[in-house]
Amino acid sequence: MIFREVEDRDLIAKARRGDVDAFNLLISRWERRIYNYLYRLVGHREDALDLAQDVFLKAYQNLGKLDDVSRFAPWLFRIAHNEAYSLLRKNRLETELAEPAPQTPGPRMLPVEVRLAVESALARLSPDQQEAVLLKIYQGFKFEEMAEVLGCPVSTVKSRLYTALDLLKDALAPMNVRGVE
Amino acid sequence: MSCSPSDLKDYFFGELSPVERGRVEQHVASCHGCREELERLRLTRAALATLGEEEPPRRIAFVSDKVFEPKWWQVLWNSGPRLGFASALLVAIAIFAHGLMVRPVAPPAQRVAAIDQAAFEARVAEEVAKRLPAAVEQAVARNNERVIKLVADSEKRMAFERRADLVAFEEQVEYFKKRLDTATIQLARAEGGQVQ
Repeated sequence: MIFREVEDRDLIAKARRGDVDAFNLLISRWERRIYNYLYRLVGHREDALDLAQDVFLKAYQNLGKLDDVSRFAPWLFRIAHNEAYSLLRKNRLETELAEPAPQTPGPRMLPVEVRLAVESALARLSPDQQEAVLLKIYQGFKFEEMAEVLGCPVSTVKSRLYTALDLLKDALAPMNVRGVE
Repeated sequence: MSCSPSDLKDYFFGELSPVERGRVEQHVASCHGCREELERLRLTRAALATLGEEEPPRRIAFVSDKVFEPKWWQVLWNSGPRLGFASALLVAIAIFAHGLMVRPVAPPAQRVAAIDQAAFEARVAEEVAKRLPAAVEQAVARNNERVIKLVADSEKRMAFERRADLVAFEEQVEYFKKRLDTATIQLARAEGGQVQ
């Protein structure tokens, strides 16, 4: 992790001087995480990919504004959060009116019923709670970093996450009884 | 320590300091309910983990494009010793401004040396004597040319007028000649009528 940060720092410094190759290397390190985060937020693969491209473009253009390079991850996810919510706001009316799009199952999501149960449980959370779960469970951010990404106090982050966890525990209890590991 | 769901979750996510962590572990060891709660949290996280990450459908990469590249001043600004550069720039501006505001005082104008009046007049007289005859000669020549031209123009104009008068006189003569002829014919016709 430390080596990764050091290498990221080096790549960021080069990208700041206009080195596109260095930035592409940085993208290759982060695109999977950013894409999955966006996909879970917007629920559409193509939208997630388009947003991810926008996120990295904005990151490249604004690298000079990143004061503390060690905060690159929350800074990048903050951009992704803003981009995703910008799209969600734009599509809110359509999303509310449209039928939920059938999701094609991903290749690594086994077993199917567990995945469906988890998706269903996540879908019952509020968007704020969902995002708190994504950042903590799937992206492994610290509370302080989550607060930076979401632009709210740590206490709010914890409140959202813990409420979400209680709801998920109840929703997934039957599977827990059957033993999911 | 009594049961604290919030502390238990903080412990579960590794967000506690070593001291707090030790305290929670001590409590969990003796609390069946908290152990069960920890187990439920672990199972829930395991269930959520089944929703694995996907590979992006396509790789994201940028090509070098002037539109996206930072401007020269952005590169300069982000090139490292930003503060040093800004300080150097400020010092340069201060030196330049100082140079503009504090200009050196110009030396007082030298007094014009006293003029030697007599020598000046002699020089003027000499120059006048030298240049006057030629100037007069040129003026006379120019005047003569002008007079000659005026005389020539006058003669030309008089010749033209004389020719015009002559043409007018000839036309008058012609006119009277025709009237005389007409009168003669009428007289002859009148005389012939009386004879018949």
